[in-house]
Amino acid sequence: MDENPGLSDQYRTSSPWPVFVAFGFVISEVGILFGLFPVAVGGLLMFCGSLAGLVHEAGYASTPWRMLAALAVVFLAAGGALATTDVAATRGYAILVAAGILLVGAVVGELVVDSGPTPV
Amino acid sequence: MAAVNGELALTVLMGLLLVGVAAWLARVENWRSYTPLGSGGVYGGETGQAHHEKPSGLTRWLTTVDHKDIGIMYGLYGVIAFLIGGAMVMVMRAELLDPGATLISNTFYNSLLTSHGITMLFLFGTPIIAAFSNYFIPLLIGADDMAFPRINAIAFWLLPPGALLIWAGFFPIPNLIPAQTAWTMYTPLSAGVGGGNQANAGVDLMLLGLHLTGVSATMGSINFIATIITERAEEVTWANLDIFSWTILTQSGLILFAFPLLGSALLMLVLDRNFGTTFFVNDAGGAILWQHLFWFFGHPEVYILVLPPMGIVSLLIPRFSGRRLFGFKFVVYSTLAIGVLSFGVWAHHMFATGIDPRLRASFMAVSMAIAIPSAVKTFNWMTTMWNGKLRLTTPMLFCIGFVQNFIIGGITGVFLASIPVDLVLHDTYYVVGHFHFIVMGAIAFAGFAAMYYWFPLVSGRMYQRTLGKAHFWLWIVGSNITFFAMVLLGYGGMPRRYATYLPQFATLHQIASLGAFLMVIGGLIWLYNFVVSYFEGPVVTDGDPWNLKEYNLYTGEWEWFDRKLKTTITDGGDEEVATDGGLHGPVGAETADATDSDDSGRAMDANDE
Repeated sequence: MDENPGLSDQYRTSSPWPVFVAFGFVISEVGILFGLFPVAVGGLLMFCGSLAGLVHEAGYASTPWRMLAALAVVFLAAGGALATTDVAATRGYAILVAAGILLVGAVVGELVVDSGPTPV
Repeated sequence: MAAVNGELALTVLMGLLLVGVAAWLARVENWRSYTPLGSGGVYGGETGQAHHEKPSGLTRWLTTVDHKDIGIMYGLYGVIAFLIGGAMVMVMRAELLDPGATLISNTFYNSLLTSHGITMLFLFGTPIIAAFSNYFIPLLIGADDMAFPRINAIAFWLLPPGALLIWAGFFPIPNLIPAQTAWTMYTPLSAGVGGGNQANAGVDLMLLGLHLTGVSATMGSINFIATIITERAEEVTWANLDIFSWTILTQSGLILFAFPLLGSALLMLVLDRNFGTTFFVNDAGGAILWQHLFWFFGHPEVYILVLPPMGIVSLLIPRFSGRRLFGFKFVVYSTLAIGVLSFGVWAHHMFATGIDPRLRASFMAVSMAIAIPSAVKTFNWMTTMWNGKLRLTTPMLFCIGFVQNFIIGGITGVFLASIPVDLVLHDTYYVVGHFHFIVMGAIAFAGFAAMYYWFPLVSGRMYQRTLGKAHFWLWIVGSNITFFAMVLLGYGGMPRRYATYLPQFATLHQIASLGAFLMVIGGLIWLYNFVVSYFEGPVVTDGDPWNLKEYNLYTGEWEWFDRKLKTTITDGGDEEVATDGGLHGPVGAETADATDSDDSGRAMDANDE
């Protein structure tokens, strides 16, 4: 066992992810509604990244990467659909960019980071 | 060029934020700990450090998924929102001291009116209930925690940004004004069409904030349904499930059906405002569509807010009456009946809109019918107290205040349910008086009853009894002065939502403001009492500060508290408690203190009544 366990396995009643899932959700919502491109992208990255981290930590997935890829695919579809519209094309591109970064992150994570067993 | 620079600055800011978050996460959540080392060892086994429950400092509160911590955070959040919502209404009541617009502008009055309503209903009402349910439901039903602790934390953390968005219009941000739509957000005003100023982004932010609180409530409700159904201890059956859990279960069911609808309607409104959709376009009947959608959520919302306080009152009244709840089963049945009927009454808010008279009649019938289960509860509370061994502690006083105000608020509501009466009183102060008797007079009263009742358990200390009673009497007198004056103003024909009025209404408005100022004094006394007692109140050394065992009315959360106290003593973890069986000065002194200054059942009953 590691000498320095992380927060989630050191403390039974702590998790660093929920607060960022919530904040990511809020930031992405504000960014997408007001058409603030970087805010939308950053918010989505925070939201999806934290969600994948949370699902992994809770033991529902052995690594966060595939969850991240799945979310990227969902947002690719949503962003693609929005990008074809007249009124929300920029917002669609923002979602596409976020999804692209997430997909790259997922692939790199899957290939580079050593996957351990599911935490309990 | 400026736009590009702005975009660039925003990108850099977002990048820095993400890097900061990632760095913090990497620091607290050591990723390598998920990877087994070459040296072996059982993954996930005890590490030697794992016996601690929580990290310390701010990190604990940012990362906690413990239902009790989350309950405390909900409570703190609700109280802050209550103080802000209260400050808003006090500015309004000060403005209403004289007929003209002397203190603030009409538009600012409208902004405060909107924000006061939304703050009290969504940022105080729902969260303060969630505070009690998060802290106590798992303890009452013998569960280790909520069914989904992380979802519980997400639901809470959606609320602070939600509040900031709702209040954003008040912040000194260029080109942003507060929403002036009232909490009902009726279209076409809220759709931002026409010559008004409600196309402003402040309204969009408010709608987004409201949407977030809705998402939060929905996540919380799913969690409570799962927890109460699946996480009960073996000995807790449906037959002996406590009344508070029953009301929270019913409330969660209502949230599950009502809040997603609000969320959808809000998004439709946001789409109308920003993306040219036409859901609520006026010529196509959009205004009436909004009212149907809003009130299909809005009326169940009233019961979402009142059912758990009814549960609190049903839990507390027996404890200070020395007997079990009269007609327990019927209180549960009436809770469920209210839950079902609450979805069939929404159009009574729309009697004056010209909807089909046959439709109106059916909604009138159901609205009157819902008075029956409400009355069943009221009579059960009264019969529980009848011939009981009453102990008029502060929480009990607030519960009795609840019953009194609920009767007045309820009866005035039955009159409003009648179409001919409603057509006369619609949009007058009578309606304002009616729902304030319920929302402030009943719901908030029960909330404060619960705060006083569980204060010793949460803080480990006792509040000052005299101050608690002063708070109660200021509130019961203040609320009745204010809300009766409102009912009378309504009879006189004073329309609601106005910053100015005809001189003939001045006296009643001044009386209403007087009552409101009394409530402010009571509120400040409460705040002082709780803050001082939290730090300096007499330490509670008994796991049964309300003397419930004597009446065989002891409940699970106090058992937990008792275990906690005993464990603390055995561990010698608290420096104020000696481990050699003797008592340190402070504990002994405070125990003696408690007999004359605290609100404990033992200390007071006989000489208190």
